[in-house]
Amino acid sequence: MKRTYLGEFEEIVLLTVAVLNEGAYGVAITDELERQTGRSVSISAVHAALHRLAEKGMLSSQMGEATAERGGRRKRLFTVTALGSRALHDIRAVRNQLWESISPQALPAISL
Amino acid sequence: MKSPQNVSPPRRADRLLEWVVAPHLLEEVQGDLHERYGRDVKQLGSPAANSRYWLNVFRFVRPFALKRQKSDHSSSYLFRSIMLSNYVKIAFRNLVRNKSYSTINIVGLSIGLAAAMLILLYTKDEVSYDRFHANNPVIYRITSRQTTPAGAVEYRQPYTGFLPGPKFKAGVPEIKAFVRYRGDQKDMKRGTEVKSQEVFMADSSFFSVFTFPLLEGNPKTALQNPRSVVISGEMAEKSFGTTHALGKTLFFRDDQTFEPYTVTGVAEKCPQNSSIKFEVLMPLIVKAEEMANNENWFSVFMNTFVVLTPNARIGVVEGKMNRVYVADAQESIKLMAKKFGITGKTDYALQPITDMHLSKELPASNGLVDESNPTFSYILSGIALFILLIACINFVNLTVARSLKRAKEIGVRKVVGGARTQLIIQFLGESFILCFAAFMFAFVLLELALPMFNQLANKALALSYLFDTRLIVGYFTLFVVTSLLAGFYPALVLSGYSPVQTLYSRFNLTGKNYLQKSLVVMQFSLASFLIIASLTIYAQFDYLTSTDLGYDDKNIVIVNKSSLKRSEVKVLKEELMKNPAIVEVAPKNGGGWGTMAKVNGDTQLNFAYETIDETYLPTFNIPLLKGRNFSAAFPSDSSQSVLVNESFAKKAGWKNPVGQVVNFWFDNDRKYTVIGLVKDYHFESLNQEIKPQLFTMKDANQYGKAFIKIRPTTETASLRHIEKTFRKLFPISPYTYQFLDKENLKRYESEEKWKQMMLFGAILTIFISCIGLFGLATLSAERRTKEIGIRKVLGASVRGIVQLLSTDFLKLVSLSFIVAFPAAWYAMSEWLKNYPYRIGISAWMFLATAFIALSIAFLTVSWQSLRAAMINPVKSLKTE
Repeated sequence: MKRTYLGEFEEIVLLTVAVLNEGAYGVAITDELERQTGRSVSISAVHAALHRLAEKGMLSSQMGEATAERGGRRKRLFTVTALGSRALHDIRAVRNQLWESISPQALPAISL
Repeated sequence: MKSPQNVSPPRRADRLLEWVVAPHLLEEVQGDLHERYGRDVKQLGSPAANSRYWLNVFRFVRPFALKRQKSDHSSSYLFRSIMLSNYVKIAFRNLVRNKSYSTINIVGLSIGLAAAMLILLYTKDEVSYDRFHANNPVIYRITSRQTTPAGAVEYRQPYTGFLPGPKFKAGVPEIKAFVRYRGDQKDMKRGTEVKSQEVFMADSSFFSVFTFPLLEGNPKTALQNPRSVVISGEMAEKSFGTTHALGKTLFFRDDQTFEPYTVTGVAEKCPQNSSIKFEVLMPLIVKAEEMANNENWFSVFMNTFVVLTPNARIGVVEGKMNRVYVADAQESIKLMAKKFGITGKTDYALQPITDMHLSKELPASNGLVDESNPTFSYILSGIALFILLIACINFVNLTVARSLKRAKEIGVRKVVGGARTQLIIQFLGESFILCFAAFMFAFVLLELALPMFNQLANKALALSYLFDTRLIVGYFTLFVVTSLLAGFYPALVLSGYSPVQTLYSRFNLTGKNYLQKSLVVMQFSLASFLIIASLTIYAQFDYLTSTDLGYDDKNIVIVNKSSLKRSEVKVLKEELMKNPAIVEVAPKNGGGWGTMAKVNGDTQLNFAYETIDETYLPTFNIPLLKGRNFSAAFPSDSSQSVLVNESFAKKAGWKNPVGQVVNFWFDNDRKYTVIGLVKDYHFESLNQEIKPQLFTMKDANQYGKAFIKIRPTTETASLRHIEKTFRKLFPISPYTYQFLDKENLKRYESEEKWKQMMLFGAILTIFISCIGLFGLATLSAERRTKEIGIRKVLGASVRGIVQLLSTDFLKLVSLSFIVAFPAAWYAMSEWLKNYPYRIGISAWMFLATAFIALSIAFLTVSWQSLRAAMINPVKSLKTE
């Protein structure tokens, strides 16, 4: 199978959607991202990434409920598709494999 | 809790977001941003939150958000062929059904378009002057600039003398070639007939500098032999009956005898957009002593052109030229300063040959032809734009006003799913079809109007001129712009109608329809402006041609004879006076001479210098205010006495001019005594102020023409006698005659042109405005058919109804005066400032304009109103 390429930011967004599970929509994802990674992320960047992921078929979405603070507008809630899940697992497997192949002395020691 | 107003994000940012983000993404995006905004307000306060909101909105200007999703319903249907054919069909049906409306639009638009096309043609011709030379853009004319010692520019001079061309060529390496060019009159003999022919003289480099192809002959050598001549094909045809004239001989007079000149070249007709137009071209012969005479730097009378090397920098070349001049002319600069007190400085400069034609400061004259005033182009373009604008306004007004009739169609189209863009395209398409028809018709009009226009504008334009890519692009642009200009607003308005209202049949044009009204006001403002302009120009023209010139120019024949000697005058007079029809013969110098002299000791005065004899003043009935005329009883008059006019005396500051002394200091300090004061008369045209004038009988000055006063109504007999006498006395001089009063009229040719141009403009604008008004009146009468019926049933009179229907329009026309009158007053007083002798702008012009505009408008409207008012109410109430 042809591997789908995932950018670093896309990967993180995809993971965040998985973390949030049911309540994954633009603002929530942005907040979660900022909280988990500590970097500042713009909403438009998240939207763009979500849009790309949906185009690649790794995310599916449906409209959620409307709230007053959104001016009566609905949220778009994202869930990870099977393809998306597969891609995440693939990436993880590759990483793990690479980690296991590293001999302990090869990496300079760092204190966490 | 904060009030909801405080927590809503900036409106403009929201508007931008809605505009930027694709509709299918908008809801979620906007929701997210609002949610975030709410949080920001709580955490940071509303100013910071606002700016963050703006920032976030701007961040959405990126491809994924901008990209619109393909819709299932809109664009793909826009250009379905079945819909297109439907549009075309409906458009044609509409055009055919509303014949008067279509005619008004097409006629108006085509007149406007034809006017605009004509002007495009005209301006193209104007700017294309002298561009056909292959050596462009490196052909320049040598010009000079006169500056005062203080450094202010006194005047610019487009002409040069014998020296600059050759000297600059020798001293400036960037100058590749030069050619001096001048015009002259020479007597030409053909068989026994002697004719004065305009000839031009140029250096032998003429054909290598300029691009004038020869039909026959070698351009390199054609002007090398001093007795050679190049003639135009037309001239060859006239002289020899064939264009194969190479090697044939023409006779021209040099001094007293006719000399043979060999034809060394036959040239093609000079292009119509050329400043150089020659029938006969001869080599320019400059004597060696003229070239050696350093004072010739100051003798200026012809045009000199140079060709530069391709990469030469103008500033550098001009600098080098001036160094050459200063080095070479050093002595004569000093000499001139001593002799004439010339203290100014001369700088030479270059003018591209392509700039000559439209240059006001450095015009193409003195042997060059067709000198043109750019103002003329501007005014023409202005009028053409006016006309086109008015025609477009008609279109907009009529289409919008008529749209009520089509409201149902629009409603139905919308109900069955027509999108707004579709309707816009439909209406724009209709305007394109209409414009296209108008465009075709405009070509016909153009072809018909061209001969008249050529005569007016002194041009030889032809429709074939159109086949030029840039002009075709220009016309195409004109077409598209007109279509859009005329069609866009109606399309926008019509497509915006709500289907519910239109189908409910209670639809009416909402509001007071200010747009339509203001457009009508604008049309009539333009029309009234042009009416006032033409009235003023007419009045001024009338003033110029009918004002008393201060002398009697009736029944005077002018006969030219170069170097007319005193003895010849005597014989001529004796012979002519044998016929009782001849009243008097008065000789005068040829052309207009000007010179200067000192008065009151050391004051220099410039004046017109007229050489006459004692018969001049009586012949023209010019009164003497003081002193006496020249007289045969005082033989010393020719060597000691002069007459001056009032302006001269005023300039000199003389209370009592008689007895004052005029000192021609440069002419061996010759002094003359003023013996009489001549009343000012307009010796030049009325466009010029009367200048100081001095009359002399000095023997050394030659006469150049004779004014022959004849008895009224004896023209034929007198002319025959004059010609016979002239031929007998001067068999080798060409004979031509003019009537002075006709010559005087010719001075106002440019005013005459202005007059006709303005009149055409005014007639066209008022015509187009009126057919527009007619259309509007028709529609408004139609719309109010029922109302009129009811009014009539209730007892309204025809007069009352006509009044009801007309007053609205007449009010608008009156309103237009408020705009037009001040503008016209200002423009006309500016124009009149060009004339030292002018009319005042009087109230009657404005009253007449108001009267003309109102009565034409009333006639236009009342015809429709009357028709509507006369209809039997039974008929109008029965409709539907």
